[in-house]
Parts: sequence; C-alpha cells; structure tokens
Amino acid sequence: MVARVDDAAKGDGMTMTRRRFLHSASVGLGLAGGLAACASTIKGDIAPKTGRRVVVIGGGWGGATAARYVRMADPSIEVVLLEPNGDFVSCPFSNLVLSGLRTIDSLTRSYDGLRSRGIRIINEAATAIEPDTKRVRIGEGYLAYDRLVVSPGIDFQWDQIEGLPAARDTVLHAWKAGPQTVELARQIQSMADGGVFVLTVPPVAYRCPPGPYERVCQVAWYLNKNKPKSKLIVLDANQNIVSKTALFRTAWQAYPNIDYRASNKVIALDTSTKEVRTEFDRVKYDVLNLIPPQRAGAIAVQADLVGPDKRWCEVDHVTYESVKQKEIHVVGDATIGLPVPKSGNVANAMGKAAALSIVSLLKGQPVPLMPPGNTCYSWVSDREAIAVINSYKIENGKVVQIEQKLTPAQSVAVAQRAEGWRLSIWSDVLS
Amino acid sequence: MIIGRASLALGLAVLVLLAVTKEARAAGPLDNPGFAKVITCSACHGQNGNSRSDMMPIIAGLDPAYFKKQIESYATGKRSSPEMEPYAKEIQFLGLDQITAYFASQKRQPTPIRGTANAIAKGKVAAAPCAVCHGQNGAGDPARLIPGLAGQAPGYLAQQMLLFKQDTREPADQLLAAKRAVMRVIPDSQFAELAAYYGSLR
Repeated sequence: MVARVDDAAKGDGMTMTRRRFLHSASVGLGLAGGLAACASTIKGDIAPKTGRRVVVIGGGWGGATAARYVRMADPSIEVVLLEPNGDFVSCPFSNLVLSGLRTIDSLTRSYDGLRSRGIRIINEAATAIEPDTKRVRIGEGYLAYDRLVVSPGIDFQWDQIEGLPAARDTVLHAWKAGPQTVELARQIQSMADGGVFVLTVPPVAYRCPPGPYERVCQVAWYLNKNKPKSKLIVLDANQNIVSKTALFRTAWQAYPNIDYRASNKVIALDTSTKEVRTEFDRVKYDVLNLIPPQRAGAIAVQADLVGPDKRWCEVDHVTYESVKQKEIHVVGDATIGLPVPKSGNVANAMGKAAALSIVSLLKGQPVPLMPPGNTCYSWVSDREAIAVINSYKIENGKVVQIEQKLTPAQSVAVAQRAEGWRLSIWSDVLS
Repeated sequence: MIIGRASLALGLAVLVLLAVTKEARAAGPLDNPGFAKVITCSACHGQNGNSRSDMMPIIAGLDPAYFKKQIESYATGKRSSPEMEPYAKEIQFLGLDQITAYFASQKRQPTPIRGTANAIAKGKVAAAPCAVCHGQNGAGDPARLIPGLAGQAPGYLAQQMLLFKQDTREPADQLLAAKRAVMRVIPDSQFAELAAYYGSLR
C-alpha cells in the first residue's frame, strides 16, 4: 500500500479526472463507498515516521491551508494530508454554477501546489483517531503524528427531517461543491417554465450564513431570465435572513419570483408526492434543494471532539487545540465558540493560526497571537455583489470582534473585488 | 605560534558555533516577528503582499510613511473602504509599526496582469499629467507621500482613479486636491488604459 501512497503523491490521484469524478456519483455517496473498500486493504504503519510529523485530516479551506503553512514555517516538519477527493472544489462561488454563470471546472483546483511543497497527500478518508497512541487510522492501516489538525467540515443531520434518511441519496443539498452542484444546476435548467423551485434553509449554526440567500439571488436571477413563469419558494427555519439582511432584501426587489417565508422550518419530506411539510404547511415542489441541519464532520463526532450537543468542536482561541483532546487542533466549520461565521475565509485564517501555533509548540517557542479575519462576498445578480467584513483581536485568550462592516450597497466594483479575493485566497490555500 | 593556534581554534569554534546557530535559525519566516502578524493579509493581498490578481493591490515594498497614512485613513474612515476599515483596526491592534516594516521590507513583484499592447500604448500617451507627480517611470515620490505605480495591479489602479474622480477617496485631504483635479478631466474610458500602462512598467 506504500506504492499506492507514492502514486498519490506523484499525482496519480489526479488521474481521476474532473469528468470521471463528476460522473462517478451523481449524488456523491458512491464515492465514500468506494474509498471505504480501498481503506480496508491498507494494513499496518502506512508511512513510518522519521522526524516530526503533522497529519492533517481534510483538504478543504482550513486543512489545506494548515498543511501549507506548517511547511512554509518549517520545511523540516513532515506533513501528511488525508483528503478523499482528488481535487479541491471551491464552495465559495459555487452558487454561480446554479445560475450558469460559472462551470464547476472553473472552481476546481489541483493539490499539485501542496505536493510541490513536499506535502504528502493520501486520497483516503481517516476512519478513526487514537489520541493515546497519537495515530490516525485509515481502515486497517495507521499514520503516527506529533500534532494532528482536524478540518472535517460539516456533515448533515439527516434524521432531523422525517422521510429524509431514506431519500438522502436523491434529495440534493448541493452544500458541498461538487457533483451535487452540477446535478442541481441540471435540474433547474430542465425544470419546465412555471415549475416551482423550493429551497429550504436550516436553523443556525450552519456552513456559510449568507450562502442560502446568495443562492436565492442566483436561482431567482436565472429563473427570471429563462423561466419567467416559475417561482422560488424559500422555507427558512430562521426568523429572518441570517446574514447581510438589509442588502439581500434590497437585492430581492429585482426578483418578483421570490416567495420568502421566514420561521418555516421543514420537518418532513415526501418524495412520492413531491412535498415538504413545515409545522404549519405543505409545500409542493418541482425541484427541491433541501439543505439539512448540520454538525461537524463525522470524524470529529466519532473521535469525541464535539461538545455535549454532539454537533460542534470547542477549541482554544489562540492555538485551535481541542478543549477535549491535547495535541489535536480543530479548524474550520466544525468549530464553535468563536464569534466568527462558518466561512471559507475564517477556515483559511484558522488554518494559518493553527499551523503557526503547532510549529511554535513543536519548537518550544511562545505562540504568537493571530486573530482571524473574515471577508465574505455574495453575488446578488450576474454582475453585482455585496460583502461583509469582520475583524478581530484576542483579549485574555479569547477572540473578540473589533468591527463588522457591510458594503453600503450592491455594486459591480464589489463583484470585481470578489474576483480578486477568489484568486488570492485560493492561492493562499493551495499554492 | 601558540597564540596563533589558540586563536585559530577559537576562530574555528566560533565558525562552528555560527554555523550551528545559523542552522537553527534557518527555520524560516516565523523568525521574523512580523510574519505572524500579517497572515490575515495574504487572503487578499497575496504572499508577502504580492497580490497576483487584477483588483487586489500589491502592498509589498510600500513606502512606510505612505503605508501608515493609508492604514490610519482607513481606520478613521477618511479613506472609505468596507473591506479595509475593519482590518485597519485589526492592524492597529496587532502593531502598525511592525506590520508597516514587514511589508516595506518585502521585495515587490510586478503584477502578472498585462493589458493589450494597444491599451498600454494609449495609456502611455495619456500619462503625461500623471508623470508630473508620479515620475516619468511611475516610481512615485516617498518624500511627498506619492506612491509608486509601476507594476501595480491594473484593476486596482483603475478603480482608485474613479474614486478620486468621484471625490470619494479621502475627499477632505488637501494634499490630494491636485490629484482630484487631474482625474476630473480624464475621461472614464481612459482609466483602464492608464492602468494598463502603469501596470506594465517595471
């Protein structure tokens, strides 16, 4: 199995092309089954540790950034990144795939930049964490670590909605950019003019607070232009638009096809009658985009890094070390307790701070204070965007917000800066 | 001779010690205390302030006095920017002097964004009024807080020209009165050409 690891390191993981990746599973779950089968054939120490080693679970915004910054700060530390997907697919900007303004290929980037930094990428999912022996298990095999970064993203609480567990392979969330995004775009495009698109927004906390409302803008823009008789019903479990509220309200004035219903939590689903049920109502759909309630990625729950609610991971605000397990750092959407949104930019900031903390700790040096930042753009049409920016400081070991600022209005200039942000931050995560 | 040998041995010992120290120090960017303070910036401004995108400005190698003035103007809202106002306050919390020094000491890498030859040529012709302050080669004049434009990201330059023309960048700043006067007589359609020209300078 070492050969397999080396193949992956040379880029063989990349031979699973985007097309094959997209076709391999129209709803994404086929992939996990395939990997579980691979993992079970690995046995023993996958790569014996020779020097200091950091293992990173998850190659999204937080994990890939952490891997990169450990190597940047100290190239003598070995870094192994565990990521089942062969390529990085950006969630930010993926709502633009639904409106046809972008392709998923334009949001897909390889991990070659990280490989060229000497980071070893294994295209497998971690199956367990053993904090006592400081090992990560991949099926029957394992990897030893000195420090572990867990960046597992989110998973869904299927059982919170009646009828959803049985339908989870066919009902689309499209909340992890990839095959589901492409499939949802296809369904929207093939919906008849006059058809009803239903989008459900989960209760907070969930990944990307403004994401559902940007999605509303993009789908409404597309339908307005291409299917003027269609409408878009938004069933929001929350009492109001969660983020950038006034700016989204203004943007929606351009889309008379939006029917927004606050405090409408979806509690049941019936795919045979194409209906979702809220506490008060039944709503028929032609195309459904059901974003389920969320929690930290499965590995964090299984490794007991989550709090009493079994949902999210509490961490030290300076080092991102888990409050439950020493020498394990958790970053990104899986964390809770900091006054920050679950955004790609915050995951990137956490990845950097965790990485430099780890390098400092491994050297026995004091850990610098590295407060996060958040710049978050949302596209409200085909050419205009809005943004929210949060800055932070660290006081008495806790992250405290300094200021939150919104763009005064939607504009083309903000959208142009969003494009700049996209390119810069992808490079900060992956180059 | 004995003294000679002793000093040779001492010299060797010092060399070995230096080598060891150097190796221990060859650890990387964390040895610069500024590095941990600027990690937030790279999400937009690129590695070490060398943005590679069209819209995000390159801040590597910026003159310290100019850099400080911008951060202070952002923080007070005089230079209006929803993005930079919060971050300017974060910078002040982390230490403006150290962050200024960090970016000032970074080598500036010119933008990879290149306009068409036609746009660059037109921009060069239109740049005569700009050269009065920013210099023939766009190097700027640090003594007068006039920034260098050579190799800067063109999309950023064009957006700033528009802000000056609309009088929405530091409207009360008398030092910028001449700048605004120049911008007001340049048609909007020329901004992209001027930006392409200055972006192309090295």
